Formats: sequence, C-alpha cells, structure tokens
Amino acid sequence: MTSYPVNEFGPLMKGLVIGGVGILHVFLAQFAIGGGVLLFAMERRAQRGDADARRFVDGYFKILVLVSFVLGALTGVAMWFTTIQVGARTIGLMIDEFHWLWATEWVWFSLEVVAGYAFYRFGPTLSDRARIRLLGLYAVSSWMSLFWINGILSWQLTPGRWLEGAGMWAGFFNPSFFPSLLFRTAVALTLAGLVSCVIINTMDLDRARKQALISRAAKFATPIALMPLLALWFLAVIPADSRAWLLGGSMPMLMFVGVAAGASTLIGGYVIVGLVVKRLYINAATALLLLALAFGATAAGEFVREGARKPYTVRGVLYSTSITPAEVAGLRARGAVVDDPYPLRDQHRYPNDQLVRGAKVFRSLCDACHTMAGANGVQHLVATWTDDQLRLNIAKLQRTKGFMPPFAGNAEDVEAIVQLLKWERARAPAIWPMTTPPAQVQTWLDEAGIHPAPPLEAP
Amino acid sequence: MSRVWLVLYLATWVLHFVLVSYVLVGSGYALGQSLRGRDDDPLAARIRDLLPFMLGCGITAGVAPLLFLQLLHQERFYTANLLLGPRWGAVVPALIVGFYALYLQKAATTPRWRRLALAAATGCFLFVAWSWTELHLVMRDTPSWVAMYAAGERFYGQSGVLPRLLLWLGVMPVLFAGLAAWWSRGAERQRLAVVAFVGHVIAGVAVAWLSARGSSVDPVARGWLYLLIAAVVIELVGWGLVLRRPDGPGLTIVTGAATAAMLGLAIVRESPRLALVTARPAALEASGVWVFAITAVFAVAAIAWVVKTIRD
Ligand code: HEC
Ligand code: HEM
Repeated sequence: MTSYPVNEFGPLMKGLVIGGVGILHVFLAQFAIGGGVLLFAMERRAQRGDADARRFVDGYFKILVLVSFVLGALTGVAMWFTTIQVGARTIGLMIDEFHWLWATEWVWFSLEVVAGYAFYRFGPTLSDRARIRLLGLYAVSSWMSLFWINGILSWQLTPGRWLEGAGMWAGFFNPSFFPSLLFRTAVALTLAGLVSCVIINTMDLDRARKQALISRAAKFATPIALMPLLALWFLAVIPADSRAWLLGGSMPMLMFVGVAAGASTLIGGYVIVGLVVKRLYINAATALLLLALAFGATAAGEFVREGARKPYTVRGVLYSTSITPAEVAGLRARGAVVDDPYPLRDQHRYPNDQLVRGAKVFRSLCDACHTMAGANGVQHLVATWTDDQLRLNIAKLQRTKGFMPPFAGNAEDVEAIVQLLKWERARAPAIWPMTTPPAQVQTWLDEAGIHPAPPLEAP
Repeated sequence: MSRVWLVLYLATWVLHFVLVSYVLVGSGYALGQSLRGRDDDPLAARIRDLLPFMLGCGITAGVAPLLFLQLLHQERFYTANLLLGPRWGAVVPALIVGFYALYLQKAATTPRWRRLALAAATGCFLFVAWSWTELHLVMRDTPSWVAMYAAGERFYGQSGVLPRLLLWLGVMPVLFAGLAAWWSRGAERQRLAVVAFVGHVIAGVAVAWLSARGSSVDPVARGWLYLLIAAVVIELVGWGLVLRRPDGPGLTIVTGAATAAMLGLAIVRESPRLALVTARPAALEASGVWVFAITAVFAVAAIAWVVKTIRD
C-alpha cells in the first residue's frame, strides 16, 4: 500500500478545495461545449442571410476563446493538481484503468483547441463552407471530450459490472453514463443559451433585432425542461444508500439537492414561459442573474455528485481515505499508521506519544472528510459526547453514519483518537495522561466488522 | 505496453518543450525589443501576435506527457506534487496571469503597458519552468522525501535546480530561434541565429556547472549522448550557414539537426529514471488502445485539413 504525504488545508476541508476548482472548471467546460453547438446552428442561420447572426457568431467566439480556452483549459490542469492533493490514490486508479480513454479525450481536446483557434483567427476571412465545417469540427470535438471524460467520472459512483470483472468498457459505459451524459449536455446547451442573451445585449443593435436574436438563442436553453427527468433517471441508477442519503439521510445533501432543483426550476420557468412562449425581452442584468443562478445550480449539483460517493471515491474499490476495502483487515491487525513513513509536521504540539499517534491516525483515517475544528469539524460533532460514546461511535464508525468507512485501525488507534479529541476539547493542555483502551473497544470493533454497514451491502 | 507509454511520453514532451520554448523566449525577446525602443521590429510584432496561440498549444501539449508521466512514475509524481504543495499550486495561477498578459500585450496601445504585460508574462513562464525543473528533481530524490515533509520545506535544494534550469534556459532560445526562423527571412534570420548562438553558450555554461557538481550521463544513454553532441555540432554549422546566407539551406540543416538533438536530449534526460519505471499489471495496459489510435489518426488528418483550409 502506497502512503502519500498529506497536506493540511487549515479550517477548509479538502473537499471544498477541489470542489471550488471543480465547479469553476465544469461550469466553463460546459459553457464551451454548449457554445460550440449553438454557434454551429447560428452560423447556419447566418449563411441563410441573417447578418446579425453572423456578427453574433464572431463576437461570441471571441468571448468563448478568451474565457473558456484560457480559464477552461487551465482550470482543467488545475483539476489534475488539486485531485492529486486531495486523493492521489484515486486519480492514480483512474489513470491506471482508463489511460487510453483519457489519452483519447486529450486528442479530442487538442482538436477542439486547433479548430477553435483557427476559427478565432481566420473565421472572418474564410468561405462559408469552411466556416461551417470548422465550427462543426469544433462542436463535435468539444462534445467528444465530454463524452470520454463523463464515462470515467461516472464510473467512480457506479462502476456497475466492472466490479464483477467485466472489464474496462463495462466500467466506462456504466449505469450512470447515459443519464449524466445527457444531463451535462442539457446543462451545456442551457448555459450557452444564457450566455448568448448576455452577449446579444452588448451588441450594437436596435431592440427589435436584439429581440430576434434572443428568441433564437433562448431555444438553446429549452433542454433545461428535460432536467427533472434526467435527474430522476440519475437518481434511479445510483446506489440505494447514496440515494437515501441525498433525499433526506443528510441534511446538507438534501439542501444542495433542493438548491440545484430550485435554481433549475427558476431558470427553466423563465426560459420556457418568458423567453420561448411569451417571447419576452431579457436584458443583460437579468440574463446575468440567471447565469448566476445556473452557477449556483452547478455548484450544488457537483457537490451532490461528489458527496454521493461517500464513503468511497470509487464505489466498492477505494474509500475516501485512500484505503481499499481489502486493506482494512490488515490495518485492523497491525494498526492504522505503521506503514506511514511521514511524521507529523507539528509533532511538538502534543504532550505524549499517544496523542501523536492519535493525530497520525486522524490524518490517515478522518482528514479526508473532516477537519478538527473547522469545516465538518469533529470537535463540533462530538462536543457533547462522553468517553464511551466516543469510543463506541468511532470503533463502529460505519454504523455511526453509513457514509463513513469502517475504522481501519486497532483498539489502540481508537483510543488514541479519543484521547486526541478530548485533549483538543480541553484546549490542548501541556500535560495529558496516557491511557490504555478498555477491553470493550476491541469487542466493538469486532462487532462492527470490516465491511461497510448494512444496508450498504445487504446480502 | 510501458514502452509505448515511454515513447509517447518522450514524443509529447518534446513537442511541449518546443512550444513553451517559443513562448518563454518569444516573450523575453519581445520584451527586450520593446525595452530597447524597437517596438517597430516586425519580427517582434509577429512573435507577439502568435504568443497566445502558441501558449494554448504548449499547455495542451503539456497535458499529454502529464498523463503518461502518471503511468510511468505515478507514485513519484504524486509525492513530489504533494511535497511542494501550495508552492506547486501556484503554477496554475501563474499560467493564467501569463496567458492574459499575452492577450493584454497584444491589445496594449502604449509601450508602457506592452512592456509591463510582456514582463509579467515572461516572469510567470520563468516561474513555471523553474517549478517543473524543481518538481522533476524532487521526484527523483526519494531519500529526501520524509525529511522534506517533516520540515514543511516547500523548496527543494536550489543548488541542483538552478544549473538544470540554466540548461533549459540555454536550450530554449535555440528551439525558439529554429521555429521563429521559418516565419522570417534575411536579416531577421541572422538575428535569430545570434539568439541561437547565445543559447548554446548558456547551455555550455550550464553543462560545465552540472558536471562540476558531479552530474554525469547514465551509461545506458551514452549512445544517445553521442548523437546529441554530433547533432549539436551540425546544428551550429547550420546556424553558421544561416548567418552567411540566411535564405539558403542553413535553416533546413538546423531543423533536421535540432530534431535529432532533441531526440537525444529527451532520452539522455530520461535515462536516470528508466530503472525507476513502475511495473503495472499487464491486463490494465492495453484496454482501449485502439480507440486512442483511431482517434489520433483521425485527429492528425483533421488538423491537416484545418491547416490547409486556413492557408487557402
Ligand atoms: C468518507 C468521509 C468520512 C470519513 C473518512 C470520516 N467521516 Fe466522520 N462523518 C462524515 C460525514 C459526512 C459526517 C456527517 C456530518 C454531519 O452530519 O453534519 C460525519 C459524521 C461524523 C461524526 C458525527 C456523527 C453523528 O452521529 O453526529 C463523528 C463523531 C465523526 N464523523 C467522526 C469521524 C472520525 C473520528 C473519523 C476518522 C476515524 C471519520 N469521522 C471519518 C464523513 C466522514
Ligand atoms: C509556459 C509554460 C511552461 C513552461 C515554460 C514549461 C517548461 C518546462 C520545463 C523547463 C520542463 C523540464 C523540467 C525538467 O526536466 O527539469 C517541463 C517539463 C514538463 N512540463 Fe512543462 N512548462 C510549461 C507548462 C506546462 C503545462 C501547462 C503542463 C501540463 C499541462 C506541462 C507539463 C510538463 C510535463 C508533464 C513535464 C515533464 C516533467 C517530468 O517528466 O518530470 N508544462 N516543462
């Protein structure tokens, strides 16, 4: 088992760090994908004689390149680096399994960059035929990068028959592949439609002509009407425990689902009723507001997608702690941190060896989802708990909450964390007694077993 | 299959390196010309115009070796990333700033703004080159990892990083000049030949510095080292020809020799790590390779079509 050095992110939980980068990246990438399709369609219109549509295409493309090529591509690189910070073993596993598909995705992305830049620089001087083909190539390649990456990401939550050894393609075309592909495509079109409304407002046209363009562009936002159906489909194929967690098992999750659904409903209502049916005008401020709502919905949606995987990063294969289910038994026997060569950076803070051990155990087994006193801080969660309550709930971690993995250490490790929590609660005094774990802790560990709790893996 | 990864790693790394060389040295060159009041230099103007595009390509090209590196040296690469931590994380913001600075210098209407933007861009790209060099050395130095982590040290021994970085800062002007010369003629080519000569001198100093510090080339790569040396000699002759007859065959010779030299350099650079490549279960390696191959062939054809379309 490979041990990686762990970086602390202060009071911010790691998930929040990657979440922040991830949300921005997804938002920009989806905007670029939808933009490709929308521009292709607008260009066809332009070539049938709509001069405004042509100006729109060239104007929109500049924004697309400036925002999405630069920020989109670089937040993509940032995604690599942040996922490594948060879960090196997870990203390693994904690379091992899907590297050729990832390389394929890269080829499509390169094609998107080449076609995009060619249009950006030479578009205005090219023939109609060349323009439409270049935009077509751009649209297809950007959607194809989504196609490939979507299979790899959805595999993390629903590896499906891959778990039974059915091979890479079974993992790629996994149960949530199509719902998430269609869902993301719909979101991409909606975002492109909303951005268009902003851009059209900045164009130097009279209101009637802007209005005509807006009605065209707004049609691209209509797939948002499919979103509830696609979301239900997605919910239907994810594991039962994840679903239960999203729909009430966890209050924050339920709230995020609510935010995503509520924001999408508002956008959808405005787009369908206001823009498409009633053909209302929309000014830049309102369009920006809708985009901000869409950003909120994306953020909430990504948060839900990340959260739904717990306690795994790859369902059934790797826990959020970068420990595999098969490794738990060994760690129960040998202790959680015997293989970890990296010392604590703040070792001098702790008055005795047991607390040092506790801090190391916390770093390997809890730090992926908790901080000590910041976001999802364990200090807050256990503020009222008695000693035995602490021991019991930590030893039976996967039964305390189904979205935590089984405790991957021995009775000494449980006791070390319990002492650490109590010591932190006592505001880190300079002297602290060493303890031995009561015999019961081992019994609790044995009762909890080394597997995720039912109903996770009900027989 | 790990041989295929290695070959793809080397090929895409060279591509990446050539492109970012153009960007880093091109920004520096344009900055230098602007500072000397030569904003009307048509060569600098052309370079400035091309910089954002080349950076886009350079970054995209960098993602491919990034992928294969994670197959060849997964644990090392991740560990080095984690050890450098937030310091490593600064690479992406630096690239974003550098990228927009390149657009800004194109849009700049006053020399002052142009210089500021070019200086910011050059600084950012130097920082990125330095960071990759440092990361590469951390990856190779397993014994230092635990102590580095324990000390919370975010900078790795600069005495090793600086000479290596200097070597890259010598190679990069040569690649930049070789590429830029294809879009230039006459006196401009001669000026680029001078840039290339300066690059060789810097690289020579760096090699001397590295050997004084006890670096040597792994015996397995000796043959490639000889290829590298021979290619560099021919390349220098080629630049000499360019100086005398800028539009003669010199540039073709330079290009051929530089390609051979980059091949040699990439392999010599890789040789200390070859024994460290991580073995992987064979079953993992091949799945999907044909999808990649077909897509790659299609993409090459499509890119050729794009190039033809914009030329017509
Ligand atoms: C896979 C992510 C994950 C890991 C790993 C994890 N937890 Fe949790 N834990 C959570 C989440 C999510 C909650 C719910 C927080 C809430 O309800 O607001 C939680 C809740 C808790 C609670 C409160 C339970 C309750 O009933 O109120 C405690 C105590 C706790 N965790 C301790 C730990 C300890 C100690 C570790 C390490 C041994 C750990 N957790 C590892 C995700 C995790
Ligand atoms: C202007 C920006 C950049 C510059 C100037 C630059 C420069 C360099 C240099 C000098 C090296 C050699 C390091 C060494 O061997 O010591 C290198 C390696 C590398 N670069 Fe870049 N780079 C840039 C951007 C990028 C980006 C954005 C990526 C990824 C997306 C990338 C990916 C790589 C990879 C994977 C290596 C190989 C590292 C190794 O094998 O150890 N580079 N780069």
